[in-house]
Amino acid sequence: MFFRNLTFFRYPASLNLDALDAGLDECQLKPVGPLELSSRGFISPFGRDSEVLAARQGDALWLTMGGEDRLLPGAVVNDMLARKLDEIEQKEGQRPGGRTRKRLKDELVTELLPRAFVKPSRTDALIDTTHGVIAIDTSSTKTGESVVSEVRRALGSFPALPLNAEIAPRSVLTGWVAGGEMPEGLVIGEECELRDPVDQGAVVKVQRMDLHSDEIARHLESGKQVTRLALSLDDHVSFVLGEDLVVRKFKLLEGAVDSLESTDADDMRAELDARFVLMAAETKRLFSVLESAMKLSRVEG
Amino acid sequence: MRDVLELALDDGSTLDIQRVRDPRAKRIKLSVDDRGARLTLPPRASLVAGERFVAAHLDWLTTQLRRHAPPPQAPLLPFSLSMLPLDGAERPLRWQQARFASLGPDPDDPAGLLFSFPPKATPAAAVRVVREFYLAHARAQVGSWLPSYLPGLPRPPRAFRFRPVRSQWGSLAPDGTVSLDLALVLARPSAFRYVLVHELCHLIEANHSKAFWAEVEARFPDWRAERDWLREYGGGVKARLRVLLDPGRAADLEQAAAALR
Repeated sequence: MFFRNLTFFRYPASLNLDALDAGLDECQLKPVGPLELSSRGFISPFGRDSEVLAARQGDALWLTMGGEDRLLPGAVVNDMLARKLDEIEQKEGQRPGGRTRKRLKDELVTELLPRAFVKPSRTDALIDTTHGVIAIDTSSTKTGESVVSEVRRALGSFPALPLNAEIAPRSVLTGWVAGGEMPEGLVIGEECELRDPVDQGAVVKVQRMDLHSDEIARHLESGKQVTRLALSLDDHVSFVLGEDLVVRKFKLLEGAVDSLESTDADDMRAELDARFVLMAAETKRLFSVLESAMKLSRVEG
Repeated sequence: MRDVLELALDDGSTLDIQRVRDPRAKRIKLSVDDRGARLTLPPRASLVAGERFVAAHLDWLTTQLRRHAPPPQAPLLPFSLSMLPLDGAERPLRWQQARFASLGPDPDDPAGLLFSFPPKATPAAAVRVVREFYLAHARAQVGSWLPSYLPGLPRPPRAFRFRPVRSQWGSLAPDGTVSLDLALVLARPSAFRYVLVHELCHLIEANHSKAFWAEVEARFPDWRAERDWLREYGGGVKARLRVLLDPGRAADLEQAAAALR
């Protein structure tokens, strides 16, 4: 269960999550019905066969939102509809009007939906109850929000807000690349995106490149600013941080995984638990570094 | 039709009035905002009738123009602009050559701001840096005020958007996104805070009913003073931000700079 991306939301740490377990039971994923397009709900983080809906270790909580979507491509429906309309035109000598077309389309969708493929999906989330942070394994705001709204459905109220940086993340990232002082433990990687600040301005993306080189310095001198930057934290995790404060390409490095291999992971469940503990610890550490570097707002007065 | 009517005044000066023929206009209308005076003509009205209308209301026009005169704001020219408006005050701005562009507090002057700027970068880059700086300041203000208002709201706002807006100060979208005018960072902080509270209260009451104003009153008792302040000085604040963040003006400056080189 190693996360690839992290989208953070903050909620008041004083929020009581005791009602969560009962709520999760109620909001379990129901199989998508024959005439439904999609269904969302919680599944067990340990796989769909497992019973537990949340894993807890200390102040960390691991939830998984499952989804089932029916795949019914629009092109398939339109093609069948066109064929049906041609048939009717042949028979009756005139093309059916808009209302009939809509009715025929609805009939087709009702006929095809039960036969459509069901695509399962899962999105993991880690809740850090001490900091009041939920980290979701996605880089899409939309998916992140759908997980938060599922948690809200389970809890009744979940005032989670997207991260709010009190300084411009862009200028912080630019400062780091330009040789400014970095927070302790953070090291610049070999990937970044530079943008010319004007609208429709130039975009430079580099990978596998020394960011302290003259070429990059020249881009900065011409006024470009860093909008994405690869970083690593204490040789434990590497990631790409964007100006939208979404962490992408999140990867545990050998320094962190070493501690995992030393545990005696004889069965699957113990292995998953160990990974969860590791992931929770690294996310917590990363968040506290980002919190001070980007001056993230608190959500409690 | 859109042209400029030049009006000779008694004191010898001339006054430019934007003359616009609007197919939807019902009657002749004279209006004034921070961009100047504007005469709207309905399709059938003659130009002479329009001029006569202006002449009849000349006193009103000059009074209004004086009231709406945009406050002086120098354009954002690198290494020359010396003051930057923020939080209802003028902050001294110090420029320094640097490897990359950034704007932040001046370590030598607690009230001042330090603009680090590469000598080769364009004025447009400076505009973007100022915009980012204002954005970050707006987020910081909202971030510090929001927690005290969150309890008691039916749902938290989904996101905050800041951008320059023509006439409004803020709005709340049905999905819970709060949009606020970026010019609010130039206004006095209490006015900014009032607009935030106003929009948050729309999460409870999506209208301007008595119940809505009761919610505002409970959270921000002094809202009338701020509303009046925005009505009186808001236009000027918006106009100043427009001058500062005008990419067209920045492009002109760039051309002028290129010509000099």
